[in-house]
Amino acid sequence: MKYEGMVHALEEIQRLLRPDGCLIDIHPVLEAPLVEVYQGSRVLFVEPYPGYDYEEDLRQAEDALAQIVQRGPFVVERSGEFDLLTYGSSVAELRDFWAKAGAYDDSPKDEAVEGREAELYARVEEIMQAAGPGAEVALHERARIARLNPTVSPSARLMEGSHA
Amino acid sequence: MAIRVDPENNETRALFDLADFSAQRVLEIGCGDGRLTWRYADGAAHVTAIDPFAEGITRAREELPRELQGRVEFHHIAFEDFAAASEPSTFDRAILSWSL
Repeated sequence: MKYEGMVHALEEIQRLLRPDGCLIDIHPVLEAPLVEVYQGSRVLFVEPYPGYDYEEDLRQAEDALAQIVQRGPFVVERSGEFDLLTYGSSVAELRDFWAKAGAYDDSPKDEAVEGREAELYARVEEIMQAAGPGAEVALHERARIARLNPTVSPSARLMEGSHA
Repeated sequence: MAIRVDPENNETRALFDLADFSAQRVLEIGCGDGRLTWRYADGAAHVTAIDPFAEGITRAREELPRELQGRVEFHHIAFEDFAAASEPSTFDRAILSWSL
């Protein structure tokens, strides 16, 4: 979804919400997720995910949210951040999971990025093999979560005023 | 071993820290295979979960627990089309689930 579509979607969400309702928005922060290897609580490997090529989309989402708050349909009540980790027992398992999760993304992959991904995954596999049983690979994403409350629309305020 | 998503429950904690879903009518946009839906749907009055990609919706419907049937609906539809066909002031909560 592009910027204008995002702003329109947020306006539509406000229309669908009751005046005392709220919108919870969850989206990744503007930084590459990490590929990590764990064995129990020990961290054996950490490196940024080389396929991080969606920063511009995330930036547009942040801009759309800022625009909608500035324009008035929503006010941010609270926000925070959290870490979301997805663990697999092998690189193949995690890659298969992400291929299914990202099946909607039909944009062509950059060859150089694919090469860096393959190289990273080979190193992760080596480290996991060397570590032995119990090693897990994880994709570590950091996300922002916000609660946005709809504000009363100007026309509704006028209506309220006329009843006062 | 199967894939484990957020076994630490960080996302669930963050979600419940910001909103109560008890007896609420919820719209989840970008529900995928229902990964997040299962975490809050128990107490909700009704959940309408939508996603424009059929694969996730099919998996979500297959995995819909019996106790949530009738209270949780998954729809394969784009948000624009869903919104165009929906009445105003229908939902108490809307969740944009990694989808903006």
